[in-house]
Amino acid sequence: MQTIISIAVDALTYGMALFVICIGLSLTMGLMRLVNLAHGAFAMIGGYIASYAARDLGLWYGFAVLLAILGTVLIAIPLERFLFRRIYGAPQLTQVLMTIGITFCIIGITNYLFGPTLKTIPLPRGLAEPVDIGFRTIAAHRLFVLVCGIVVAGGLWSLIERTAFGVKLRAAVDNAAMTSALGVRTEVVYAVSFALAVGLGALGGVIGAEFLPVEPYYALRYMVTFLVVVSVGGAGSIPGAVLACLLLGAVDTTGRYLMPDFGNFFFYAAVILIVCLFPRGLLGRA
Amino acid sequence: MAVRTLMGAAFGLLLAGTASAETVKVGIIGPFSGPFALQGKNFQAGVEAYMAANGKQAKGHDVEIIYKDLPAANPQASRALAQELIVKDKVQYLGGVYFTPDALAITPLLKQANAPLVIFNAATSAIMTQSPLVVRTSFTTAQTTTPLGKVAVDRGIKKVITTVSDYGPGVDAENAFKKAFEAAGGQVVESIRMPLNTTDFSPIMQRVKDSGAEAVFSFLPSGPTTLGYVKAYNDTGLKQAGIKFLAPGDLTQESDLPALGDGALGLLTSFHYAVSHDSPENKKFVEGATKAIGGADQLSFPSVGAYDGMHVIYKMIEATDGKQDAEKAVNAVKGLSWTSPRGPVSIDPETRHVTQNIYLREVAKGQDGKTYNKEIQTFPNQKDPGLAPAGQ
Amino acid sequence: MQTLAQTQPVAMPQPKRAWWRDIVGVALIAAVGLAGYWLFPDNLALLTRVIAMALLALSIDLLVGYCGIATLGQAALFGAGAYAAGIACVNGITEPFTLVLIGAVAGSLAGLVMGVVMLRASHGLPQLVLSIAIVQLFHEAANKASAWTGGSDGLAGLSPAALFGVFEFDLWGRTAYLFGLGLLLTVFIVLKFVVRSPFGMLCRGIKEDPVRVGAMGAFVFPVLLKMFMISGSVAGIGGALAAISTQVVGLDSVSFELSANALVMLVLGGIGTLYGALVGTVIFMGFEHVVSSINPFHWMTLVGVLLIVMVLFAPRGLTGLMETYTGLKLGKRGGRA
Repeated sequence: MQTIISIAVDALTYGMALFVICIGLSLTMGLMRLVNLAHGAFAMIGGYIASYAARDLGLWYGFAVLLAILGTVLIAIPLERFLFRRIYGAPQLTQVLMTIGITFCIIGITNYLFGPTLKTIPLPRGLAEPVDIGFRTIAAHRLFVLVCGIVVAGGLWSLIERTAFGVKLRAAVDNAAMTSALGVRTEVVYAVSFALAVGLGALGGVIGAEFLPVEPYYALRYMVTFLVVVSVGGAGSIPGAVLACLLLGAVDTTGRYLMPDFGNFFFYAAVILIVCLFPRGLLGRA
Repeated sequence: MAVRTLMGAAFGLLLAGTASAETVKVGIIGPFSGPFALQGKNFQAGVEAYMAANGKQAKGHDVEIIYKDLPAANPQASRALAQELIVKDKVQYLGGVYFTPDALAITPLLKQANAPLVIFNAATSAIMTQSPLVVRTSFTTAQTTTPLGKVAVDRGIKKVITTVSDYGPGVDAENAFKKAFEAAGGQVVESIRMPLNTTDFSPIMQRVKDSGAEAVFSFLPSGPTTLGYVKAYNDTGLKQAGIKFLAPGDLTQESDLPALGDGALGLLTSFHYAVSHDSPENKKFVEGATKAIGGADQLSFPSVGAYDGMHVIYKMIEATDGKQDAEKAVNAVKGLSWTSPRGPVSIDPETRHVTQNIYLREVAKGQDGKTYNKEIQTFPNQKDPGLAPAGQ
Repeated sequence: MQTLAQTQPVAMPQPKRAWWRDIVGVALIAAVGLAGYWLFPDNLALLTRVIAMALLALSIDLLVGYCGIATLGQAALFGAGAYAAGIACVNGITEPFTLVLIGAVAGSLAGLVMGVVMLRASHGLPQLVLSIAIVQLFHEAANKASAWTGGSDGLAGLSPAALFGVFEFDLWGRTAYLFGLGLLLTVFIVLKFVVRSPFGMLCRGIKEDPVRVGAMGAFVFPVLLKMFMISGSVAGIGGALAAISTQVVGLDSVSFELSANALVMLVLGGIGTLYGALVGTVIFMGFEHVVSSINPFHWMTLVGVLLIVMVLFAPRGLTGLMETYTGLKLGKRGGRA
């Protein structure tokens, strides 16, 4: 029993880390119909900025996280303006090609600027130490990730469902022409949601760095994982993304515990099963 | 016709470098870009350090190096590069090669090419049996792992769980450790093979905890996965619980140590080379290689494989007096022994694989506050057990 | 299959002018191939690699360009062919044509499996994800079955017999290259017939509007499955060629990376015309070879820039660009492609 709870805790925290990284991608794919394979690259940029701020400049962790989000958004704005805006509404293959191209460029430049070695983001003392939660010890950092995940999910949900911006966004998604005829500046709405998605990606890249270490090939290494998680959840659905992350986290973690030798089989078999049963993802919009 | 010749010449210039008659050319294939670029840079640093220290001539013959980039394991590309080096660039020697399948794709060409292959890294025992024209100056996983079995027993450890990445070298490591440890009287209670792309190691650590073993033996490819693994080992309290950590030195390669940080302190690894190795030869080597690679924290084990590989190639050039004769060249270095930066080494005349000391190291903190691999025990003159009597 | 005639209006064939253009096209490919043989006699192993990749890209074009099925897992079929040929070769079947046949059969069987799974989903993204999951499972299986496949160390020790009992697969790679070129031409000609056939027309109709084709009485699923098997056999031939010419089969031949690379090459060349697959492969791999021998370190950045530029200025690929400027139509594309 204790083991089961222990595995569950691991699965939960790992799933939440995935969630924070992937939810931004889910937004761009679901709401903006953009298959952004460069999402991982933005998460990686966030990780690099945080690492530079916290490790090389010695700044406080929270400040480094903020800096990472702002910095990544700042980098993403011109990219959105000049590149991504051209492929909104383009066929998926075109989007895939363009965003793979952007990913390659970001990887190449990062490699050139920061070198090929692993970068770490030093955690503050409170997060770095294992905490005893009664039946086992767990890294305090994992609990932090859990909290972050809950905050992000709640915040996003209320933003989209409960604010004026959310109304405009949903309207733009359903019918861009009509929305813009009604006086909503859809390109601003798109730009803001893109920035939001990128910012979330950066946050995920930073707090998830303990699971997915920051290095130049990060963007390529985990591209498939992110894409799979979002598709399973149903692009654009926050509860769907939560569900997918927790479910796949659970399958992955339990599979690796029970039969580590066949861990990947479990994961991808689960993916195939879910996609076959729910082609639009668990909670995707029809 | 003229057009064709012209185009041919133009493309030829584009594809190849310059050619000159008197020089002996050496083609080096390694991952100079891509996720493993750091290891390729180490190849280059080792080669450059050797040539800076010993001159660009061997017995009066100019030595020219041609580097070819092979970012990831890809036998098809490997064969194409080797063919180009041999046929077009007319190299007399091939060197480098980071991955096993890439080496296996080159071996069938060697006889016809009349060129020896000096492997700087690829660490699977079986490569040596594929062609008599292969010499290896790196290590095999079995070679670096085997002493750990005795170490474990000497330290009073009776039960060990093994966790290795599920691919060739991981399986080699698991088998070698099991054999050595059980021969010394220990018991491997469980063997886990982890998929290569595992990112969260907590469930594995839970398995380790449940198994009741006193130590965990691990093998993972150097790089990002190692970081996650060592973190999980610390975070899940295994370290505090006193479960020892044993691994071949790939896990604590010097270029990963800064990222691992204090979490790596106390890890026991066995390997053929530590950058911290205390000898005048190594001091000189580290100085030269650091200059070549551009930063002390990027230096790692492939550099020494390349450095010694160049030594072997220089000896071959001397033995054949710059003429192309692969068999004579290889025969000349069989039994060759010298003092490498890693310690005394020799080429086993039977297997053509390097015989060397394997060191037990512990990750410790130096006076400058940085962690390093501290050599604490030496196992002299280790051959490759993977190539022992029965072969592979 | 009586509905075939009715689907023709969907894709407007021009049978009269098409056949001589195809003959010129095939002659051109043969000429370029032979020119490569004379111009780069020292790089034949590289050129053989290009041919194997071109076969892979062709096989993707059959699905993406002619059926509208997006896939990022085609290497599963390529790898199936490569490993089948490799394992057969190690176990004593060394005649090259037999090996290619084995590769083709293995590829089409893998295509059958892949088709059955992927056709469960009806549109873009879920299909992409399924194809990724399948190629990952194939990769994992090949890694696990190391007794058969050599795992990550690679399947070594292939020694294919001489072609026609005369021409050895040797260091210089002449046999391998000409063998590959012959295979490519044969496959290309066969595929031209396939995409021109009523069956090919039906596929294109399905790409345009599966519901309408279904309403006209055609069964969509078996038609697409058949195309999956044809595509699989083409990929399998590519894999077998790679295995024979390299004499080693590595795990990279069943990887997501290989699939993605091939797709990129295809889109670069232009989808929906069989020529695009060839043009894209040759240009991309030529570019890769030249750039990476000049400066391997920045090669990735440059490829990234190339892709971005392509999307911005030539969204229909190189062949699309050519059509725009020359007015020459290389093949029929769907209006939405």
